[in-house]
Amino acid sequence: MNAGFPYLSAILLAPALGMLVILLLPHGNQRAVRWVSLVSAVICLALSVYLYAAYDRAAAGLQFVERASWVPSLGIFYYLAVDGINLPMVLLTSIVFFTGVWTMWDLQHRVKEFFALMLLMVVGVYGVFLSLDLFFLFVWYDVSLFPMYPLIAIWGSTRKEYGALKLTLYLLAGSALVLPGILYVYFQSGLFTFDLVQIAQAGLPVEAQYLGFFLFLFGFGVLAGLWPFHTWSPVGHVAAPTAVSMIHAGVLMKLGAYGVLRVGMFLCPQGLGDWSPLFALLATVGIVYGAFVGLAQTDLKYVIGYSSVSHMGLVSLGLATMSQGGLSGAVFQMFAHGIMTALFFSSVGHIYDRTHTKLIPELGGMAKVMPRASFFFILAALAGIGVPCLASFWAELLVFIAGYRAYPVLGVCAVLGLVVSALFMLRVVQKTFYGVKNERFAQAGDMTMVMIVPRALLAGTILLFGLLPRLALDLINTGVAPLVGMFK
Amino acid sequence: MDPVAPNGNELLLALLAMGLPLLSFFLVFFVTRPWVNLSCAVSLVCSGLPLSAAVWLLAGHWRMEAPILWQLTWMEGGGALVTFGFLLDPLSLLMLVIVTAVSFLVQVYSLGYMAGDPGKAKYYAFLSLFAWSMISLVLASGLMQLYIFWELVGLSSYLLIGFWHHKFSASQAGKKAFVMTRLGDLGFFLGIIVLLLNLGDLSILGLNQQAAARLTPGLLTASALLIFCGVVGKSAQFPLLTWLPDAMEGPTPVSALLHSATMVAAGVYLVSRLFPFYQGSPQALGWVLVIGTVTMLLSSTMAMVAEDIKQVWAYSTVSQLGFMLMGLGAGGYFAGVYHLATHAAFKALLFLCSGVFIHQYATNDFFAMARAGARGLKVPMLTLTLAGAALSGVWPLAGFFSKETVLAALAELPNPAWLWLGILGAGLTAYYTFRLLFVMWRPRRLEPPPEHGERAGHGAHEGHGAAVYWVMAAPLLVLAALTVLLGAAGPALQSFLAWGRPLPAGAHHTWLVWASVLVVATGAGLAWLEFGRAGAAQQGFLSRMPGLWNLFANRWYLDWLYRWLLDHVVYGLFSRLFTLNDRRVVDGGIDGFCRATLGAGWLFSLLQSGLLQYNLFTMVLVMALVGLYFLLV
Repeated sequence: MNAGFPYLSAILLAPALGMLVILLLPHGNQRAVRWVSLVSAVICLALSVYLYAAYDRAAAGLQFVERASWVPSLGIFYYLAVDGINLPMVLLTSIVFFTGVWTMWDLQHRVKEFFALMLLMVVGVYGVFLSLDLFFLFVWYDVSLFPMYPLIAIWGSTRKEYGALKLTLYLLAGSALVLPGILYVYFQSGLFTFDLVQIAQAGLPVEAQYLGFFLFLFGFGVLAGLWPFHTWSPVGHVAAPTAVSMIHAGVLMKLGAYGVLRVGMFLCPQGLGDWSPLFALLATVGIVYGAFVGLAQTDLKYVIGYSSVSHMGLVSLGLATMSQGGLSGAVFQMFAHGIMTALFFSSVGHIYDRTHTKLIPELGGMAKVMPRASFFFILAALAGIGVPCLASFWAELLVFIAGYRAYPVLGVCAVLGLVVSALFMLRVVQKTFYGVKNERFAQAGDMTMVMIVPRALLAGTILLFGLLPRLALDLINTGVAPLVGMFK
Repeated sequence: MDPVAPNGNELLLALLAMGLPLLSFFLVFFVTRPWVNLSCAVSLVCSGLPLSAAVWLLAGHWRMEAPILWQLTWMEGGGALVTFGFLLDPLSLLMLVIVTAVSFLVQVYSLGYMAGDPGKAKYYAFLSLFAWSMISLVLASGLMQLYIFWELVGLSSYLLIGFWHHKFSASQAGKKAFVMTRLGDLGFFLGIIVLLLNLGDLSILGLNQQAAARLTPGLLTASALLIFCGVVGKSAQFPLLTWLPDAMEGPTPVSALLHSATMVAAGVYLVSRLFPFYQGSPQALGWVLVIGTVTMLLSSTMAMVAEDIKQVWAYSTVSQLGFMLMGLGAGGYFAGVYHLATHAAFKALLFLCSGVFIHQYATNDFFAMARAGARGLKVPMLTLTLAGAALSGVWPLAGFFSKETVLAALAELPNPAWLWLGILGAGLTAYYTFRLLFVMWRPRRLEPPPEHGERAGHGAHEGHGAAVYWVMAAPLLVLAALTVLLGAAGPALQSFLAWGRPLPAGAHHTWLVWASVLVVATGAGLAWLEFGRAGAAQQGFLSRMPGLWNLFANRWYLDWLYRWLLDHVVYGLFSRLFTLNDRRVVDGGIDGFCRATLGAGWLFSLLQSGLLQYNLFTMVLVMALVGLYFLLV
């Protein structure tokens, strides 16, 4: 028990209070709405950076613990803590949240509702990452999913109602598997507690772990974009407005993988051995398949959507290897991919705002029209194809090594996917940004210095963690190590 | 030999050489880009100082006794340890000097060549990025570090080939270069993983000393061949050779630096770097020899019919890289490395000379240059001839000596066929080089050149005076001096690379020298008959054989094959099928499920019609059925 300042509750409260304040503001006051959102984002970012720096890597384990009994009769606890697995996720959420708010600064349509819903979604995301109580984790999980529907259906584009409906239904179907899983674990453990750590320490019966992992794998796997349950993701990303795409692809998809790891693998370490070949197979199919389908897309956002399917496949493959390197790689990949995708969507958002199209054949020569936006997109694309010294490279490296060690054939196939993804990313870069200056958009206008700030933050993060991977990996390794010990 | 730690001086110099170009990249790209001259100055200083450091290190360690090793942990996780550091030994020091020297000269030259280009500052930033990656590659202490910077030079190559990306062909060539080398790197990467999992040690010294003893022969050969896949990609060997000629879409100084002297030589450098490792597997070395030979002959034939001056040198680069690999494959460590060094000097020179002509006449076609009066440019014309002669192996230039060492290594092989193939290649090289030289030298009636070269539309003629000319000519003179002097430096380099130990007395084949001189003379003589003598038709003997001409001019239809595979297999089969599957089967299944749910709801809604008769009817029906059920069961 840390008696100090409740940092984790503060992270959870900042966007929640922000949302309440926004709801109480008069309707016309858009300026105040933006500033309130930004301030809560800045608070979260500052707190996360502080936590990231202050976390004691030598001591490892759960730190900044806040634990209080909430409903004793049911064994529900208000239990927040961070370790090497969720701390990078919290930092990721804060970065994407902050840059997302800044990116949407110029929004004009129903500003108050938009930011209120966005903050609600972020509260849910923080809640899932910070909670170590299954009940709270599930509640926050659904809190983070519900705002997606109005956010996409009202502020979206390109078949927005269809995309919103599909995404929401799909993800709720996933959470319909998670809930029975949680209840099953609750009763099977015989402890009648929702405390994740307690259940894990007591250990479930092996048969229960077997079924439990199945429920968690496919329940959370849907949100992680696990093939073949991935089709909601490109459709949803295309339809969503910029900041929602950023948070969604950047953070929400990680909730799924995080759930598989934190709930599924943590509670059922002996149950996943039998599932892991299937898990690895689906992951590898996703990696290769996503890249090939991405090759055929003509909409910039679809391309990114399918690249996400491919990259999230890497996360799944890393998890499926059940090894230190694979898990570390998977967690690092969640972080790196989150930042990268946020940068992708943020750049595409600017292009779409100015040109009102995201169809690749209509663009072309954009590097001359908007060099800054192009730079950020190309940087994200380079990170996406695994160029060294950009963050994703290290994650992919770890996953490939672990993947090859555990499943040589799948490992080779996954590496092959790397060539295809290079082909499709460079193809998009060439067709969208290179070529003669596109006179049709000559007046479109580049990013202003103000609008560069969030993109520069994301790009800087990619470079920083790419040049100094130990900044993340030393932390992640400590978080993953106890889990790997449980597999044996 | 156990490595020693660097002293303070060595540490400082090596870190300067590795760090300054990175600093320069960030400074120029993010800060000083709007100020072109300042950017150039930053970049030049940050490439000049590493050159001095490199020369200093080389001079100080001319008689070194043990390799110097310094490394930090860059990343650690799951049993994989990636180190970042440097390994100073004769090979890396020699390569470091080559890289920094050519890099500096090219940066000086580019001041003139890129004058007036709107992207000049960005160009210098990319050159710095390349210098950083290449220097870190050369000095890498572990295979993983080498691989990382191997990929990064690939990135700089992509950026620089596509530098004039408003041209479709340039962006296409950059993409092609990246993807094709990536294909080879796949093998490289898997080879590293195989080594990591089976050996656990990726340090270059460790691999060279222990791999042969600790790995089974099968694994050793497999990993050596997988790593060689990376070499095939990067050094543009058969069958991945077609990206390099296309890479000539980049500015000529880039072709000189990356695509002839340094980056593409990284493949050869890798094999030399791991030479004791490769020696552990005769089969792997055998493949190196085969691939090198095939590439050398194939690309020589392509050079015989090319009419674009840079294409000729590109094919020639591919073939000379194959020649170096032949030397290494035959077991001639010094032969391969020595030819790499001399080739870096004379091939960079050839490209930079060609750049002057391209800059002057705004065309890449050397027939058109000759018609426009190319021989009037005295310095480039003389240095071009000198470098061309070195390339064909004319005594007493550097190329002659290094070529002879490679041929001597081939002569040691039990099968004489390799030697004869090598000599045949030398003859073809002499033919295509002198073909170009004779065309350029021969007086012709002057006519204005057509504007279709890489600098067409750049206003090549106006605005630049003698200053530009001399900024470009000065590096030519330096490289020309090196082309002459390196020939005499052979024995000294050989003893340096052998750690100063006495060399085994190799057999001297006097007949071999005469044979190769004869073959070169024949090739040059044929070129003179067809292109040089007064009244020559300037048409090669190949133009009378359209079948062969087409085969050579179309790069043995390799490109056609790749295009076909890409269109019909990657796009046509996998991409299309997967996309259809995604839309119809996976997503269609989900949509179908939803429609089925809606349909079922509609069906059930029929029951709720609100009509009393139907409700009663259903009630009676159900009760009757239930009653029937209990009656019968």
